[in-house]
Amino acid sequence: MSELATRLATYLRAKLGAPDLTVANLARIPGGASRETYRFRARYVADGKALDRGLILRRDPPSSLIETERTTEYRAYEAFHRLGLPVPQPIALELGGEALERPFFIMAEVENCTTGGIMSPDPYGQHRESVGRQFFTVLGKIAAAEPKEIGLGDFNGAKDVRATAMHEVARWERVISEDEREPQPIVHAALRWLKRNPPPPAQKMCVVHGDYRTGNFLVDDAGKIRAILDWEMSHLGDPLEDLGWAIDPLWAGADPARPGGMIPRADAIRIWEEASGLKADPKALHWWEIFASLKGAAIWISAALEYADGRNIDPINAFSGWYCLSFHNKVLADRLAAEIGA
Amino acid sequence: MKPEVGTVLALTAQKIASGFGEHGAAFAQGTIGLLATVLAVSAKEYERGADIRVSENNEMRALFEVLAETVTDPALRQELRDAGATRDASLRISALNENNYALRRLLTRLQIYAEEHGVNDVQRRIWAVLKAMAQRRLVQLGP
Repeated sequence: MSELATRLATYLRAKLGAPDLTVANLARIPGGASRETYRFRARYVADGKALDRGLILRRDPPSSLIETERTTEYRAYEAFHRLGLPVPQPIALELGGEALERPFFIMAEVENCTTGGIMSPDPYGQHRESVGRQFFTVLGKIAAAEPKEIGLGDFNGAKDVRATAMHEVARWERVISEDEREPQPIVHAALRWLKRNPPPPAQKMCVVHGDYRTGNFLVDDAGKIRAILDWEMSHLGDPLEDLGWAIDPLWAGADPARPGGMIPRADAIRIWEEASGLKADPKALHWWEIFASLKGAAIWISAALEYADGRNIDPINAFSGWYCLSFHNKVLADRLAAEIGA
Repeated sequence: MKPEVGTVLALTAQKIASGFGEHGAAFAQGTIGLLATVLAVSAKEYERGADIRVSENNEMRALFEVLAETVTDPALRQELRDAGATRDASLRISALNENNYALRRLLTRLQIYAEEHGVNDVQRRIWAVLKAMAQRRLVQLGP
């Protein structure tokens, strides 16, 4: 750890033009199987003023759960921070391995906040209604943003409103095909159903966060959402993709009637519609909800393989391969069986 | 179920032996909490693993025996009859898995056949089995 702190300090002295900079209290933050995340203090003098900044380092691990572009994540932080949404300020991006062995980026730490755990029976306590309203409002604002206007028009993803759904199905089918180590009849039935019953074209192209859910944002003691995190799977696509993911039952904890453990489903959708200026057509949203559970299953299958192969033995991957995959298999089975009256 | 319990126990031992204190107390605490959860789930899976697989295998065989007579494709019908007549000769997880995977693959082929031929009653019966399989495999946390 001290070697990492030393190398980090050397890098930041040059990057920030602060020859006196020191790094203190470097500590790894648990969670985040796709990137190593550390918090630390950077102390230095700028313009004659002594600074003591809380910063976050996100470094590529030796093996990554889902192959994601750190450039994508960094650019999303830049764009939405500039737009005024609650997103940490990005500080630096390095794609080479010279400074810290692997690619990384650094952003400002949003301090004195917590994330709501998906296993918590009531993750936001007395603030759940307020947090829920903010959560779905921010998601609506993300959907409302025009990718080209915020500099993300060239992002990965579908290029056309008619292609968003099948583009994502193909993406996750590839992951399943590459990483599946035991036959998954429910997952494959879901893939076939999604292909047979395509949703209408997207209302518009938007930046899809890709993992917008409980556990991926920071809330302060007053119940104010201060930061939306983990943009590594962001891409261009259908605004309903994020909504379907955000209301997936896996994130609902003990109360499935309240997506994300926050507000009732109907309120969540209404707030999202108001903030985005878009409509959540029930039939289209139903398709994206089934897609969300399929995408989840693909991620958990991938996590299980990473773990079983010994490439990343973080216990979160074993947990994902067991709990999360069994959960999404159950959700998919119940929903798809209902389609045929079983 | 991947990863298998044996793999999880071996990698958990490796993780503990390698230590994780160098990353600071919060990281160590978070990791220990997750390891504890994974070990608790391992205990449950150790207890129910063989039962789940035997039950699933028998349910799929019973389904194949019944539905074989509704299938017009002679090759698939014979495969269903043959699979329906198999039994689990060993209760080792690896042996049960081998049979389970073969039965699941055949179940998917039968389901595709039913979807392509629009045989809704067959589809409903398959989904009833799949729902039962998903329910049985659902990992419950807590005591």
